[in-house]
Amino acid sequence: MSGEVILEIRGLNKHFGPTYANKNIDFTLRRGEVHGLIGENGSGKSTLLSQIAGLYRSDSGEMQVNGKTYDPHSPLDANAHGISMVMQELGVIGSLPTGVNVFLGRTGRFAKGGIVDLREMNRAAAAVFEKWGLNMPPLNKLTENMIIEDRKMIELARALSIDPEILLLDEVTQSLSLNNRRNLYDLIARYKDMNRSVIVITHDIEEMIRITDTITVLRDGEVVGQVNSAETDPDQIRMMMVGRRISGDYYRDDKTADCGGEAVLSVRDLSIPGELEDVSFDVHAGEILGFCGLSDAGIHSVGKAVFGLISGSGTVHFLPTDVNITSAPQALANHIGYIPKDRDREALMIHASIRDNSVLPSVNELRAAMGLLPPGKVSGMAESIRRRFSVKSTGIMQSMNALSGGNKQKVNLGRWLAKDLRLLILDCPTRGVDVGVKAAIYALMKEAKKNGIAMILISDELTEVLGMADRLLVMKDGRITKEIRRDEDFTEQSVIGVMI
Amino acid sequence: MPTTANDSRTGRARGLKNWQFYLIFAGVIVLVLLLFHLISGGGFLEWSNIKGIISRSAYPSFIAWGFCFLFACGYTDMSIGGVVVLGSFASCIFGNWYGLPGVILGGLLVGLCLIFINFLIFTYSGIPSWIAGISLAMIYEALAFLLKISRSTKALISTSLAKEYRVLGQLPWCLILLLAGLVVVYYLYNRTTVGLNIRALGGNRDVAEKLGINVKKTLLCVGFISGILVGVACVLQQSYAGQTTVKTGLTSINMIFQPLAIYLLAQIIRERINIVICVPICAFILYSIFNLLTMLGVPSGTLQEACLGAFIILFGIIGSRRVKGVVK
Repeated sequence: MSGEVILEIRGLNKHFGPTYANKNIDFTLRRGEVHGLIGENGSGKSTLLSQIAGLYRSDSGEMQVNGKTYDPHSPLDANAHGISMVMQELGVIGSLPTGVNVFLGRTGRFAKGGIVDLREMNRAAAAVFEKWGLNMPPLNKLTENMIIEDRKMIELARALSIDPEILLLDEVTQSLSLNNRRNLYDLIARYKDMNRSVIVITHDIEEMIRITDTITVLRDGEVVGQVNSAETDPDQIRMMMVGRRISGDYYRDDKTADCGGEAVLSVRDLSIPGELEDVSFDVHAGEILGFCGLSDAGIHSVGKAVFGLISGSGTVHFLPTDVNITSAPQALANHIGYIPKDRDREALMIHASIRDNSVLPSVNELRAAMGLLPPGKVSGMAESIRRRFSVKSTGIMQSMNALSGGNKQKVNLGRWLAKDLRLLILDCPTRGVDVGVKAAIYALMKEAKKNGIAMILISDELTEVLGMADRLLVMKDGRITKEIRRDEDFTEQSVIGVMI
Repeated sequence: MPTTANDSRTGRARGLKNWQFYLIFAGVIVLVLLLFHLISGGGFLEWSNIKGIISRSAYPSFIAWGFCFLFACGYTDMSIGGVVVLGSFASCIFGNWYGLPGVILGGLLVGLCLIFINFLIFTYSGIPSWIAGISLAMIYEALAFLLKISRSTKALISTSLAKEYRVLGQLPWCLILLLAGLVVVYYLYNRTTVGLNIRALGGNRDVAEKLGINVKKTLLCVGFISGILVGVACVLQQSYAGQTTVKTGLTSINMIFQPLAIYLLAQIIRERINIVICVPICAFILYSIFNLLTMLGVPSGTLQEACLGAFIILFGIIGSRRVKGVVK
């Protein structure tokens, strides 16, 4: 890159108590540059973006924007310097409508005589969505019941509403389906064309190489290297991230569609108004059945419906026990597990301990006489999950919200795999986890497959379903539009052609 | 034009359009009132009876509006009953001394000051608001009791407000106050920066703070606004009842149950009708039910409260079915 330097960072430090989050960070961002930050969970990349965005004050070091000293004391201060950020886990205010969420903290600019002109604000919000080609949720609707993707779009619009010179994106794509990802890629390309700059964090290495100009790799809070995206490959990035070589392909390397085992689940004519229409499929023991589609395709509703969380017409027949699944407790009793997409809101008790989260799906099995839970058994099970799945933590009593995204997901997955499962539904299981955890999750899935567990893998990442599934069901507008077997034309091109 | 996200995933199965809902809602209320009229043997819709219901609805509506701000920012204040007792007391004392200005200023200032003090304590002490609120309720009850004892023994106080100063508790003044309150609270809650900031704070304090909302300043604004609303409620309570019953042993907390029920009912239909507008409507519905029960000879107190409880559960069931196809 040869553009003029817009952000210069020298010797930036940040520590939380005795732990260094960032150590002597040097970083340069140029005009018109898309710069990627990558590293394992806990490597300090989100902290660095938070320092740039004014969420954290730096302990020492210096930042300069356009050659002038820059030391933001708040996100609003950063905004005033033309910098805004979409955070990994910030969110929107559920009790306020979309339009207000876009301008929250800055609603005063629409006030006349103390009264906020909501129409004017909604017009301005609509203009932001329109300008950047983002999918716009209803502006007057409260955001509390919106799906994670819509909420992320609102956060993105909020960041763009200040028309920033530097846009910071912290794992935004992980929440988006393919079409919205494409919109985001277009947006980043437009930013580049406008000679503005973007710093991107994503755990998807291929995506990062594709959309960035430069990649800075962090490990344990330090910069370990910087590469030109056009001259690198995923293996080099992985090696820089973890300090050792990780095998080039952590997906399956076979081309066989192993779906000949005994059928475990039979779904027939499943319809849920507005979400699914006449969905029918079977899943077999030891099979990984993939689902993919665009954001409105209904893939996530399939997981919820199979686990009995939402219902409509049609049947979800669990064959080993000859039971029609209509509720989550019934699914649980029939050895079915479910890992939802929205980990923090739908899967985990985020303020409870690792122990409580680990044993939650297994309380029926652990229950002793008179319904009491023996503390020794409970702690033993939690400890065994923590060790078996290498959850980086201080112990089983550590609160879940103190863990990184990857370690939260290990607990989330581990507690199901510790059970005697017949069917596991995984909805975006590697969302927001780094390459090491991703590899571990895929290894666990392969092991579960070997053990005869049937799996439904729902994913917004096409490479993931193509890499892991035996069969792939492509969905569009709530219907299954195509089935592709692993031993057939199992390529991105063939799937995308059907999805769109 | 930007593409619009599929409404189905954001709770689209609303079924009815808003105007259809308003029409049905109004129709149901009219039908229910006619039914009440029939059940009561023809006395319910008499103007004198309706006037009584409206007058009775005014005071709890202001408290329920106060709850809108309190709950919106995530706080619970159990001392409001105690504040109302002290504020009504002040309204009575100053009213008898200085006439109508005394009624207004006495209740308003005591309500405002005490709720503001509560919020100073909630904001700066770090004690959970419901715990601090219970402690403050005990203090306010004790203060009211001591004040009443000391002034009674010195024969300085009349136990009831003089009749000529009770006009604000009667029609048309209580209705004028109610409508003025409705307009002011509606704009404050929905259309001002401070109202939106208060709601943001209750929605997610972390997000609000990161987006530059001054948390402490906003909380003190809640104290100020709720204080004024509770202050007006003190004035209306004194003007309607004309006397103050001093409560001890935390029984002042009972005084917030009816406004709380109004708030909960309003909360149920807030997706369709703005909660601020819902409050006086729900207050009218609630007191219509109490009125009918009284006309039918149902003893006030335990049995009427049992009916209130059943009514809230019924509304809750109807309300929770308002959005289909959404896993909540």
